[in-house]
Amino acid sequence: MNKHTDRFTDKKKRLHRDSGLNSDQNPGRSRQVAIMVREVSESCLETLLTEIVSSYCNGFYANKPELAARRIEAIGFQVGHQLSERYTMDRPRFTDHLDAIKFICKDFWSELFKKQIDNLKTNHRGTFVLQDNRFRWLAHMSVDLSAEASGSIQDPSAMADNKEAQATGMHLYFPCGIIRGALSNLGIQCAVSADISNLPACSFVVRIKA
Amino acid sequence: MIVCVAVVGHQNNPLYIQSFTDADDELKLHHIVHCSLDVVDERVNNPKKAAPTLNETFLGLLYPTENYKVYGYLTNTKVKFILVTTDLDVRDADVRNFFRRFHTAYVDAVSNPFHVPGKKITSKIFAERVSTIVKSFGTSAAG
Repeated sequence: MNKHTDRFTDKKKRLHRDSGLNSDQNPGRSRQVAIMVREVSESCLETLLTEIVSSYCNGFYANKPELAARRIEAIGFQVGHQLSERYTMDRPRFTDHLDAIKFICKDFWSELFKKQIDNLKTNHRGTFVLQDNRFRWLAHMSVDLSAEASGSIQDPSAMADNKEAQATGMHLYFPCGIIRGALSNLGIQCAVSADISNLPACSFVVRIKA
Repeated sequence: MIVCVAVVGHQNNPLYIQSFTDADDELKLHHIVHCSLDVVDERVNNPKKAAPTLNETFLGLLYPTENYKVYGYLTNTKVKFILVTTDLDVRDADVRNFFRRFHTAYVDAVSNPFHVPGKKITSKIFAERVSTIVKSFGTSAAG
């Protein structure tokens, strides 16, 4: 998925180095081929994602948020599966799980969101926390910050807070599915969940199934 | 002359096998591909400590049979590409180039939203691209 906002017009061409033949013989003179890269408008993509969540939650599976969530996550799974196939193409193979997670944090995330994961934490026992300080797909969503701030003490009876958090949370099943699909294609079965306690930062918790 | 190319999934299930000879030794070629999977697994699971190619995708010549050479390539997603050729003087660079283009065609075929991961690749466009790559391999090797 190559995205660009309407203002960015510079990345129309990507120079692709032909590494196979020439760099073996003449490392100084590698052939460069200009390839036109397909681009997608970012606002278009965000509208599509919002609409997916909206039609599944309010249309197909109205009043059954768990089913809608599972469906959206499954779509994300297939997308992540296919994307990881594409983005691991020119890389050497991964040695272990940490390598694969680092690939997700760096290359994969930059291909999707034009930035890397800002913070990676692990407990060295199969759990990783990937934190993105400004998650692109939630950046344009308005959140009632006053309610969030006062809700630092979890009040289970605050239904308004809950509904908002739940609505925002629905939008995270798709990226969770993408991460799960990408890792599963690399041979790592895991469960991915998202944590949005401080927007616009977003943390994805990856638990690898032993 | 390439006689056969194959794509094998991560559970050793065949995703695409295509032979390019007129003779009816298709079964023999399938058998050769099947046997080469063992060699691939062996290479991957028992890395020779001295070999720097632990993480490379291109596995090189797997094993030479009487009149065939079999080359292997393993992607990050544990998908294997097998190439069977009768050429005796194939250049390493040619085979690498072939696998690179084959990988590109494979990625495009898998990105098809109607393709079910794990099932055979049924795309005609993929078949055409593969035969184009195979034909041009022949000419570049002859040059």
